[in-house]
Amino acid sequence: MRGRPDSALELLLRARPELLNPVPNNLTQLATRAGTRASVVRAVERLDRFALQVAEALAVAPDPCPYETLRDLLTGDPGTPPEPSHGANAAPHAPPALSPGAGEHPDASSQSGTGPAEDPTNNAAARSATASPDDIHAALPHAVATLRRQALVWGGDDWLRLIRTARELLAPAATRPSPTGLGPTVAEATAGMSPGRLQEVIAAAGLPATHDPVTAVASLTSLFSDRTRMAALLDQAPPQARAVLRKLMWGPPYGSVSAATAETAAAENGVGQAPHPDPGPAGAPQRHATAQGEPAHAASGPAPHLRWLLARGLLLPAGPRNVVLPREVALHLRGGRAHRTAEPVPPPLAPLTEGRTQVVDSAAAGQAYTALATVEELLAEWQSGGPAVLRAGGLSVRDLKRTAGALDVTESMAAFWIELAYAAGLLASDGEADERFAPTPAYDEWLRQPDEQRWARLATAWLVATRTPGLVGGRDAKGRTLAALGPDLDRGAAPEVRRRVLGLLASLPAGGAVPADALLARLAWERPLRGAAGADAPPGDDPRSRLARWALAEAEELGVTGRGALAAHGRALIGPSAPPEPTPTAEALTEHPDSAEQPDSAEHASPTEQAAPTPAELAASGAAAARLLAPLLPQPLDRVLLQADLTAVAPGPLERHLADVLGVLADVESKGGATVYRFTPTSVRRALDTGCTAADLHAFLAEHSRTPVPQPLAYLIDDVGRRHGQLRVGAASGYVRCDDDALLAEILADRRSSGLRLRRLAPTVLAAQADPAVLLERLREMGYAPAAESAEGDVLITRADAYRTPPRSAPTPVPDGPPVPDETLLHAAVRAIRAGDLAATAAHRPAAPSGGDKAAADAAPGAAGDRPAPPATGAGRLPRTTSAETLATMQAAALTGSAVWIGYVNADGAASQRVIAPVRVEGGFVTGYDHTADEVRTYPLHRITGVAELADDAL
Amino acid sequence: MNGPLIVQSDKTLLLEVDHDQAGACRRAIAPFAELERAPEHMHTYRVTPLGLWNARAAGHDAEQVVDALVEFSRYPVPHALLVDVAETMARYGRLRLLKHPTHGLVLESSDRPVLEEVLRSKKVQPLVGARVDEDTVVVHLSERGQIKRTLLKLGWPAEDLAGYVDGEAHAIELDESEWSLRPYQKQAVEGFWHGGSGVVVLPCGAGKTLVGAGAMAEAKATTLILVTNTVSARQWKHELVRRTSLTEDEIGEYSGTKKEIRPVTIATYQVLTTRRKGVYPHLELFDSRDWGLIVYDEVHLLPAPVFKFTADLQARRRLGLTATLVREDGRESDVFSLIGPKRFDAPWKEIEAQGYIAPADCVEVRVDLTDSERLTYATAEAEEKYRYCATTDSKRRITEALVKRHQGEQTLVIGQYIDQLDELGEHLGTPVIKGETTNAQRERLFDAFRAGELSVLVVSKVANFSIDLPEATVAIQVSGTFGSRQEEAQRLGRVLRPKADGHEARFYSVVARDTIDQDFAAHRQRFLAEQGYAYRIVDASELLADEDA
Repeated sequence: MRGRPDSALELLLRARPELLNPVPNNLTQLATRAGTRASVVRAVERLDRFALQVAEALAVAPDPCPYETLRDLLTGDPGTPPEPSHGANAAPHAPPALSPGAGEHPDASSQSGTGPAEDPTNNAAARSATASPDDIHAALPHAVATLRRQALVWGGDDWLRLIRTARELLAPAATRPSPTGLGPTVAEATAGMSPGRLQEVIAAAGLPATHDPVTAVASLTSLFSDRTRMAALLDQAPPQARAVLRKLMWGPPYGSVSAATAETAAAENGVGQAPHPDPGPAGAPQRHATAQGEPAHAASGPAPHLRWLLARGLLLPAGPRNVVLPREVALHLRGGRAHRTAEPVPPPLAPLTEGRTQVVDSAAAGQAYTALATVEELLAEWQSGGPAVLRAGGLSVRDLKRTAGALDVTESMAAFWIELAYAAGLLASDGEADERFAPTPAYDEWLRQPDEQRWARLATAWLVATRTPGLVGGRDAKGRTLAALGPDLDRGAAPEVRRRVLGLLASLPAGGAVPADALLARLAWERPLRGAAGADAPPGDDPRSRLARWALAEAEELGVTGRGALAAHGRALIGPSAPPEPTPTAEALTEHPDSAEQPDSAEHASPTEQAAPTPAELAASGAAAARLLAPLLPQPLDRVLLQADLTAVAPGPLERHLADVLGVLADVESKGGATVYRFTPTSVRRALDTGCTAADLHAFLAEHSRTPVPQPLAYLIDDVGRRHGQLRVGAASGYVRCDDDALLAEILADRRSSGLRLRRLAPTVLAAQADPAVLLERLREMGYAPAAESAEGDVLITRADAYRTPPRSAPTPVPDGPPVPDETLLHAAVRAIRAGDLAATAAHRPAAPSGGDKAAADAAPGAAGDRPAPPATGAGRLPRTTSAETLATMQAAALTGSAVWIGYVNADGAASQRVIAPVRVEGGFVTGYDHTADEVRTYPLHRITGVAELADDAL
Repeated sequence: MNGPLIVQSDKTLLLEVDHDQAGACRRAIAPFAELERAPEHMHTYRVTPLGLWNARAAGHDAEQVVDALVEFSRYPVPHALLVDVAETMARYGRLRLLKHPTHGLVLESSDRPVLEEVLRSKKVQPLVGARVDEDTVVVHLSERGQIKRTLLKLGWPAEDLAGYVDGEAHAIELDESEWSLRPYQKQAVEGFWHGGSGVVVLPCGAGKTLVGAGAMAEAKATTLILVTNTVSARQWKHELVRRTSLTEDEIGEYSGTKKEIRPVTIATYQVLTTRRKGVYPHLELFDSRDWGLIVYDEVHLLPAPVFKFTADLQARRRLGLTATLVREDGRESDVFSLIGPKRFDAPWKEIEAQGYIAPADCVEVRVDLTDSERLTYATAEAEEKYRYCATTDSKRRITEALVKRHQGEQTLVIGQYIDQLDELGEHLGTPVIKGETTNAQRERLFDAFRAGELSVLVVSKVANFSIDLPEATVAIQVSGTFGSRQEEAQRLGRVLRPKADGHEARFYSVVARDTIDQDFAAHRQRFLAEQGYAYRIVDASELLADEDA
């Protein structure tokens, strides 16, 4: 690393930014940090599929590994005829022809089951781009250079070395099979083997005997690595043995020899059952063990063909019931290839559908306009009485449903719009005690901006958002539903995937679109999934693919793309930071393998490593996008068409003021490019309620109509206007009624009545804001003699108040002293007293063993002699015995069925004496019939302070 | 970017009428979109699955539809909508009903999963028989109609290619010595004959009877004509005798009073749907002859049992005639699957523009109720309210004034409530035609009206359908069946027949202000406006003031 030029270091730091944090003091520190597991894992996860395959191949190759060896691992043996290897690359559908070793026995029927269940991306890749050895030759230098740049590989071309951590990470281990499906080397697998056993193996394999285990392993290894000798050896193998080898060839290399009993039949069945050859990061070996029944044997011994293999070391024991196919053998069988299919070329983005850019742009612009309208509609919907915030955060499913209904979109789309508005800062929770979602002040500002800038704001917010609305409605690991606007919706990879998807689209010619699957395949190639993340997901459903799929759908909804192609403004949005996609083949062709040592120029930076844009860049690209979008958006109109069927059609977007007024004056009937409004008596009344007069409305319509106002519409407004406000409603607390107008006039004129806030509603009625009682009092003070009136208009007769409680029952007497006990209680009491008396007064045998007392003698033969139990003489004293004695006495009592006297301390610490007849003593508890309580009870032994037998005549 | 068409997100299409390309656009979208409203500036079309399948049945493909939308649209058409159109259209014809040389009728599919899907449906299972091969399944001959109906409900409408029986031949020629079919009538006949079975949509007064006659002349076979009532049956008979080579003896009437079965038989829906002891005694009519053609007049009124009979008649050619495909009961899909897809339509305005029907001036007259009437109205029981406000004296007075105003013109007064009509008849001194009027009497009065001997006629809703009153120039409706749009169309049709002097027809609705009557009227009026008829609202007081002036 020290030898690298500064530019190479810069590239390293660019590729692995985490190394910079904090800035390393010197190169040693940098190197150490680059070698840490976490850092290496991160770097490895960011490799594209071919670079990863190269790294994996290096991990199974001898260390250090010359460039040629590495190349051979990827292309297969140089000596092997090109047909089979080509066939393997071109068509993984025909696995029997995979390698020369297996090719001798193209047992298609038995092998078909083991056909590639790889993810479709592999198939797609194999279909569309046949990876010929030439491709690998061409792409390998670049891949090695990438690894080198990432400081994962070091050393010259003749001794390439994977750094140790990476090697550990990628090399096959028993617990974590390599994606190559290769097992450990002979040396590793025989590590624990006894020298004697090794001798046998050597002998069986037909090698000269040697006593030195190291030499023995070396010669075995060289035998397995020697293609010709190996072929000869395998030719002697029984057919079933070869079938077993073929099964294990592509991995996982572990087989179980334990479970089944049938011998050869089992082997054949096993072949038919076809375990999953899982070239990806497969599950743990346990899974293989259960999946593979084929080398299964009775405990009596392996079947002959397995014995044949084991004897020659072609299978080596790996644990008590498992065998493993050594790496060298597998490589031989595979014709020297580390991977079933090497994928040096990224899957092409095909088939390309070329659209006219104009169509794409206008479709996207149309969608962009719809997006604006939808967000606006959403927030208008929420600006009065928005939905409540769930206690766990987020939006309830019901509110989401309702919003989706109001917007006339699906729920998942509604979630997208909601999250979009949230990401753009147009929507937030109000933070009040009764928390609700509502538009933010930024929304008002946003509303005032021109359309294209409003769009840019949404689009830039979307581009960098880590929140992924696609998750809404799904469940998290704990099974809770993920709510829109709720927690746990952030996915760190989302912005990067989004940018990458758009970047890939941008690499197509303008107006070009490709099927989503091709895009996903390319993404999967660029960032193959290591580890458990993608292992269990069905193909195409791993987290990244899902993110990418959502990104595509969202881009279309937002109008970044139109008809699947990136629109001009979408291109501007992702900004100039998106480099033109270098096609790896072309790039590799221009690059001489010798130059691989040179640090790659910046344009070779892996496209996945695009740095996230800074806010300033984002704003700039947003503005650029807005400029491009502006001419495509429809211009707002200031005219509508009024029709005699009481509708108004706005054949395009309306100016804001006009739209607002019309929105009140009429109901929206249909939306889209145009808006259809319908005037109804209710809608016109609504407009009048806002303070307009019928004349205002006429003037407004006349001004904004392209045609004369239809007579029925004018009539409708007049008709509603005529009736509007005919009835008046107000609130009053009291009223004064009098048939004499003059008297009311007098009261109204009296200055003292001003506090009552009287208003004359009719010649004979005054309405007051004071309540009737006050009214009466004040009018009396003023010298009048008013009478109160009931709701029915009768005169109320006033009398002195006589206040009553609601109905109440009389108190029940509380007598002094306890009630007289009844008969049953008395009986029970007497019985209890008797039993207690029995417990207290029972004559106890002394706890010490006395001759002839077999129970006690059995119980504590030794202890009793030197440690006599305290005599439980006085009544009321608890018996005390050691726990061993207690246990013994209890067991004896349970056997004989006799009753014992115990001292017992309950959970509250209260001590009591009881007489029980133990039934069962087990687990630290004694269950027995308690004479004191007259029922069967269970007592923990540790609470029993002591036990004494009752005198024989006690009961 | 400047087309006349705007595609809305709810799948309605707005067509700007005044646009240069409006005509071309209308022709392009008419095959697959139903004209829903045709007010003065913006016509609204709706794209429905039925409409798209109608278009498929007429031989249009999804590409044409998409092209039409994209070409004429002012704004970019949402991609989702185009995809939806293509998918919907692709559903038609995946299943086909065919004649099979050995198995009779079979259902064949070009898309096996679809066939599997429909066969799995519980509703389809009883209708089909054994599987012939993987793509074909036998259908019981008698279930030809039922299976089409069921498949349509499942969203996989079957194309019926099983053909038709020719029926018993009978020479019928059009007698075009004094007249000739109008161009659109010819197109309608051709469209129908080419399609085999189906519905022709023409406005009232546009000569639907002649389309029927034209179709009969094509079929040259015995024909069963189903009409709404006896008067209408007589009308048909009269027209057929006049316009074709058929003679009176060849045409039979099958109604409540006569049960004639002749080479051409005209039957009323009512007699067919008469039920005695749970059976339909007149069903034998369908089997009594080997009919080559069945004509359904006023398809939108077809009673539900007739659908059931029709399901059994799928091997015969069927022609439906109607002014509107809108059914108040929403059974448009049954019309589609049992009678056939729409084969021809022309909007009222277009035919009016060609001069074949008279333009009309629609006026709503709002009558102020007197204070005592308002009080009575306010206290009336809910179910009595409409009847009360529709029959107030105030309305009668206005009606009389209107009649007086149009003295000398042929005037029809149409109403719902018999006592109101009787009262009106009494005041106006004119005869009243109502349910109890005998057919002979009706025809006598109609003849007198036609001859001009009678200038004012009061009719109840019995006259709603299929009567021909060529010289009515003024219609005054005083009450109606609540807010029925269909009735409005029929009543308007009464005055839309071409007038000898090209005089503009008048259509008055007298409505009591601020009552439920007004709400119903608004519903009907909206229909008029949507059909493109300018209408005005006039206060009765103004009208009377004009009168006085």
